[in-house]
Formats: sequence, structure tokens, C-alpha cells
Amino acid sequence: MTDDALPPGARTRWRREWLLPLVLVVATSSWMLAVEGSQGIGRDESQYFRAAERYWGWFESVWTNLRQGNPAKAFTRAAVDGTWDDNHEHPPLMKILYGVSWRLFHTCKCNGPQRVLHPIPIRGRHVTLPLFTRESTAFRFPAILLAGLGVALAYWLARCWLKPTASAVAAVLSVAQPHYFFHAQISCFDAPITVMTVLVALAYWKSLRSPRWGILCGVFWGLALATKHNAWLFPIFLLVHYLWIRRGDFRRLRPPRIPLAFVSMAALGPLLLFMLWPWLWHAPVDRTLAWIGRHMHHEHYNFEYLGRNWNLPPKEISLKLLRVTFPFLSTLFTLPVTTMALAAVGTVSFLRRRRADSLKVIMEEPAAALRPSWLRPGADVDRAPGVFLAIQIAGPIAIIALPSTPIFGGVKHFMPAFPFVCVLAGAGAGWLIAIARSLVTAPRLRRALPAALAGLLCAPAVAETHRSHPDGLGFYNLIAGGFAGGASLGMNRQFWGYSALPMLPFIVAHRPASNRIYWHDVLHDAIIMYTRDGRLPLGMGDVGVGEQVLAQSDLGIVILEKHFTVYEGLAWQAYGTTQPSRVYTHEGVPFVVTYERRKTQPPRQEIFPP
Amino acid sequence: MVALVVVLALIETVNSLVAPSRAPSDKDWAAAAWLVRGQFRAGDLIVAAPAWADQLVRLRLGDLLPVPVAGRMDSARFGRIWEISQRGARAADTRGATLAATSRFGHLTVKRWQKPAATVTFDFVAEWRKASMTAMRSGGVAVPCTMTGQRFQCAGASLGPELLEVDTTLRNGLGVEPVEGVTLALEFPGVTLGRELMVAAGLHNVWLRKSGDGKVRLRVLANGGELGTLAASSASGWNLHGFATEALAGKIATVRFEITVDKAHARHLGFAAEARNP
Repeated sequence: MTDDALPPGARTRWRREWLLPLVLVVATSSWMLAVEGSQGIGRDESQYFRAAERYWGWFESVWTNLRQGNPAKAFTRAAVDGTWDDNHEHPPLMKILYGVSWRLFHTCKCNGPQRVLHPIPIRGRHVTLPLFTRESTAFRFPAILLAGLGVALAYWLARCWLKPTASAVAAVLSVAQPHYFFHAQISCFDAPITVMTVLVALAYWKSLRSPRWGILCGVFWGLALATKHNAWLFPIFLLVHYLWIRRGDFRRLRPPRIPLAFVSMAALGPLLLFMLWPWLWHAPVDRTLAWIGRHMHHEHYNFEYLGRNWNLPPKEISLKLLRVTFPFLSTLFTLPVTTMALAAVGTVSFLRRRRADSLKVIMEEPAAALRPSWLRPGADVDRAPGVFLAIQIAGPIAIIALPSTPIFGGVKHFMPAFPFVCVLAGAGAGWLIAIARSLVTAPRLRRALPAALAGLLCAPAVAETHRSHPDGLGFYNLIAGGFAGGASLGMNRQFWGYSALPMLPFIVAHRPASNRIYWHDVLHDAIIMYTRDGRLPLGMGDVGVGEQVLAQSDLGIVILEKHFTVYEGLAWQAYGTTQPSRVYTHEGVPFVVTYERRKTQPPRQEIFPP
Repeated sequence: MVALVVVLALIETVNSLVAPSRAPSDKDWAAAAWLVRGQFRAGDLIVAAPAWADQLVRLRLGDLLPVPVAGRMDSARFGRIWEISQRGARAADTRGATLAATSRFGHLTVKRWQKPAATVTFDFVAEWRKASMTAMRSGGVAVPCTMTGQRFQCAGASLGPELLEVDTTLRNGLGVEPVEGVTLALEFPGVTLGRELMVAAGLHNVWLRKSGDGKVRLRVLANGGELGTLAASSASGWNLHGFATEALAGKIATVRFEITVDKAHARHLGFAAEARNP
């Protein structure tokens, strides 16, 4: 870092490097904890709750067996598979954390009538630190904390090149994104793997001139591997960057040194994954291959994009081209517009990095300050921060742009690109602040201006994120015309059936005497957690899933996704009406409908006689 | 540049704060529904614009939108259309119609559109029981199908009236699961034809469309003469085609629909037809 970026005293340095990120962590996690309760439980999250509690149950069994003098019992293949087979398509790290958090922080009502709702035996009242009244919040807590850490990491990443105020802007913008915010507060893996992306990228960057970070890079990649399979791609993106900065070696017909970070990743990454994932223990090769195969050949679920329902790789060239636009247009329509404008400005500032400019905002330690070796493989070259950011942004987006790649996860599948977009936005903010300061002469105004301008530039992203909650998946920005504009453009509104939560009071109040309720895309695991959270009474009916069972119900919900129209038709026929009893909307856009069986079936209706 | 980005930030922030209040309120919907309900006549159509607001229209006025209307083949037979619109949207059903009245209720606009309604001389879905059905293997003889309950059954095929999901829209039609190597023929005797025979066809059920890749053909004949063929594949949607029958207008004819398929796996054809004078 250049001298002008270094704070004058250690105290100021502590404030800038530690206190400010800590404030951001606390603010982010507090924001999420304050609002997560209004966000429903999605399909995947409900399964992770179940798996997390079962994983915790296995750790309990290790302790129990140890106390009983039979420590090996929990490690037999039957015992390991009995637990860790559950949801083995995803690695365990976050689920372990969710389970531990649940065990530590829930308010235990477990030994009452709700005992039967747990996937593990409940032998008595749990002694806990009851921070949360809802069990789902206790499960979600690690994800929320990690999201907070993610903001700090975005700050520290930005600090590699930017001043504190610009870095703070980057950090705030990294969380103030409606789609990311949706994912960041739930017990899933998409926001955690985004945080891991930044963690590994930061470690790699620093490892180019610091061996300590080289070791850490391997540790962090191992944790990332144990978080989600996106981590497979990290080394590719890092390798592209490394080859770029060492391109001079090729010109000199000399192979570049293999950096410590890559050695560490190769050695520690798989080792940590193996250690953290008991499912691999008894058949490491077969199961690793099965895990890879599962995600390499993932089914194409249904997803709405530009008015079409996509559920297969397109065959026609025009549709292939349209499909390629998906991550680009989705980014254009979902990131706050000011964030994108700042990122555009920031891109220019990175492009002008080497120019002599009094307003220079990108600071980079000059090359050749240290002796190069495989421990410091970037010591003698320019580390090309712009190329580094460009690869981190373009990599995840390019993968999803391939017409053969499924798009069912929407923005979440290329979300790991966005913290790096926000670093660019931070650079843009830094540049604008520098320009604005150069135009002001009054000393007080000059001092106040950076914070004021930073706040102003972050305001739209924060406001949009606040506006979107709890339906961040259906959010579209100013360019698209908001929720309604996105719906009119035929963009995906939601998935996972999370949006049923606002319907629960109505369903409880209108519970049919038969107790036959159709929950559509809401998994039974989610109904169980709603019950454990006290949002549903015990014993709410569930006729099950599928097209056939709807007719057996007397009340049902239909989640409004384009491909779910067939279920609305089945509800019309089963209940003898096209009239929903209730519609949940966000800014006037319907998300979920409830139908009830008519007491008497109306006579067959014709349009009118021909 | 600073000013530009600052102005953008201000606009986006203000929009973010104001946008939620631009959505129609319950009061707007109640008032709009009250107007439509008060002036609604049998044979009117009520539509939402944009179409994604359809559930909100049905929440208030669903009793005026029975399944046959909500799952209509098209809107040609409706002379009066009530459109409840927002954000300047216009429903496709009102294309070619003249605006007769407009009222605003907060963020909603109720428009009454007027157009000459098509006179339907024969509705093939409503009158499906008047048909007979046969199945014929290539080079074989036609085997008559039997009517069991609500469907014709034969040769592993079945046909009957259904509420179909075609191209993620609900349609009333005749649903049939065709059989490879078999021509299914549905024949309607005594059909009063108009100047046009409108036929629509498409494949039912999003999961089936994903699972199969065969093509179903619907051949349309009147008095033994071929009018044309509609093809339905996973991507073809609700294919609507009007066949000119001016030469037979006002006459009684036999109309025959022949259904064939190249690969039957996961194919479920839905079709509807009306003889009419536009």
C-alpha cells in the first residue's frame, strides 16, 4: 500500500482496519436478524434444517458412545451413513454449523408435544443459551454471521487497492443487493459460498507476496469445498490470473513458479474436505466421484426467463443466443442501478490505474519490493488487480452463460461475482469522492464530503434491499421497473416455495374440518419447522405432493411460478372455482394463492350457448 | 460525472421509497370490481392487464369467470371485454376492439372494450359427445372406440374434455394421448359450419413437454376434404389457426380430426375448435 494510504497512527489504523469492519459485521448481522423472521422457509432450507439437526445428532452420538466406552461405534459405516447419507449431494460445513447453532441457541420446547417433530431422538429438555424464540432463527444464525463476515471480507479485499471510505462503500454495496440479501439470511449455501469466494480470493491475492497467506489459501479453499461445489471453479479462475501476471516468464521461455497458494490448495483443500465430511470416510473416491457426477449432470429445473419457461438446454440457435443473455440481463435487472453505475466508473479507474493522475484512487504496492520465490510468486511483477477482478466477475457469469448450464437457481448461481463488482463500485465511489473533494475548498465541507457522498451512493442499494424484503427473489430494479416490471418482462418471480409464510395465518384460520390441506411446493420439512416455530398448530394436515393428491384436499395453496400453472388448473377443477380465497402480493404482484373447496359444486357452466 | 451519479442515486432512492405506493391498493381493486360487477352482462369477458394480475381479478370477480371462460380457446366470441389494467398495460384479448368506456380507480383503470363478437355455429369441445371416434393402425381397419364415462377409449388411447395446461396457460379442450402407428379419428356429423373453422392445438403438461420430444399432428377435414394440419411439439405452444370454410358456410358438414404421433412418449395433445362466423 502506498504511504498516503497508511494511517498516521496505530490507533487510527486499528479503527480503519478492524473497528470499521466490525461495525459493518454487527450492522449487517443485526439487520438480517431483525428481518429474517418475515422470510419463509424454502424447499432446500427445510431439508438443510433436517440434515443439520441429524448431523448434530451424530456428534451427540460420538459423545454418548465415548462415555459408554464404545468410541468406535459412531464411526462404523452403518452409523456414519445412517446420518451423513441425508442430503449428501451437498458438503456438510454449513449444515454442521447450522446444527451446532440450533443446539446452542434455540429456546427448547423440545420435550413437549413437539418432540415428535424432531428428526433425532429428544431425550429431555435441552440446556441452551436461548437467544432465539424461533428454532429456525437458531439454525439461520451461522449464515447470518457469515454474511456479516462477508461484508468485512469485501472491505478488506477492497482495502487492497482502495482507501477506507471507498472500501466501506464496496462493503455496504456487497450486502445491499436484494437477491443476495434474500439468500444471506437463510440456512442455505449460496451466500456462504459467495463469502468463501471472497475469502479464498483475498488469501490468494495476499499470498502472491506473503507465504503465510499461501498456507491460509489452502485452508480457506478446503472450507469452501466443504461449503458448496462452486469451490471447484476457484482454482481455475486463480490460475488464469496467475498465468496472466507471470506471462513474462513465457516470453522468456521459462515456466512460472508453482505458487505456495496452489500447493497449499492441492494439499489442504481435499484433506479438509475429507476431514469435515464423514460421508466420504468409508468410500472417499467413489463418493467424491458421485458428488461431482451429481452436479455435472444436474437436472434442468423449470425457470422463467423473458416470458419463457426454460427446463431443457435450448436446441435452436436463436434460443441458445437468448439463453446466453441470461446472467447478463439478470444482472442488469437485479443489481441496484447506482451500484452498476459506480462499478462502471470504477472499471474506468482501474483501466487508468497506471496513468499519472492527481485523483488516482487505485493504490497498489509496487513490484520488486520483495525477493521473488515460490513463496512470494507475485513479488517481482505487477499483480494486475483489474485483471484479477475481471476474472472473478467474468468466471462465474461465463459458466452460467453456457446454454448447456441449468439456470434454475437464477442470480444465486453467479452471485460469487458480485462482491468483486462491488469492489469496482467502491473504486468508482472513491473516484467520485476524489473529484468532488477537488471541487470543494471549504475545509469543513472537504472533511464531511467523503462520508456524506458515500452515504448518498449507498442509499439506493440499501433502500432497494429494504424494499425487496422478504421477496428478494422477485425483485427487479429501476431499469426493469421494479417487481411489477420484472413480472411484465416475464422474469422469474420466486422458487423453493418460501413465500407461503404470509398465508399461514389464513390457512390456520380456515383449516378445513377434514384437515386435508394441499401445500404444493412447501415441503413437509418446512411445515414441520413452521410448526416447531409456533407458526402452525400441531397436526396440520398435508395431503402430500403431486398432481393427483390435490383433488383429495379441501384447502390448498398454489405457488405462482410459470410452470406451476398446471396446479392452478387442478385446483380449479378440484375445488369447483377459479376464485382464490386469498392472494399474497408484493407491490401488487401475486406470489401465492389459496383456494378452498366450494361447499356445493356449481352446475357445469358453459360460456354461453352457441 | 459526479452530478450524474448523484442524480441517479437520488432518483433510485426516491423511486425505491415511492414505488411500493404505486401498486394498486385493496380499495382500488374493490372499487374496480364493484363497477365491473354492476355492469357485467352474461357473455362478457373480464381480463387482467398485465396478465400476471389475473389472480387478483379472479379474487374479486372469479364467480364471473367460470372455468370455460377462464380456459377459453380465444376471445373471438366475446363482444364486450372488461379490462382491469395497471401501468398502462393492455390485454391481448382486446386487440382490434374499440374502447367504449374508461374509469380510473386509484392505480387501476377499468376499460370496457367493444368488438363484433364471432357467432359460434358449433363448439367442438362442448359438443364432443356428438362425435364418434375410431382408431386405425396403418394398413388396418378402423376400430370404433367406446365412450366410457367422460372419455373415448380404444387401442390404448383415450380422448375426452379436459382443462389443459398448454404453454403454461390453462385451456379447455379435448385431451388425447395418441398412440404410435395409430390414426385416431374423431368425427363430428351434422356440424353447421360458418365462414371459418378455428382450431387450436398444443401439448399439455409442462413435465410431459419436458420429458418427450415427439410431434403430434392434427389433420382437419370437412366433408372428406382436407382443410389443413396443425403440428404440436414441446415448443409449439397453443397453435391457433383459422381455416377458411366460406364455401361451406351455413351448410351441414361432417368434420373430422385425425391425430397421429411420431413418438408417443409423454405426448398429451390438447385441442379445441369452433365453427364460426367472425
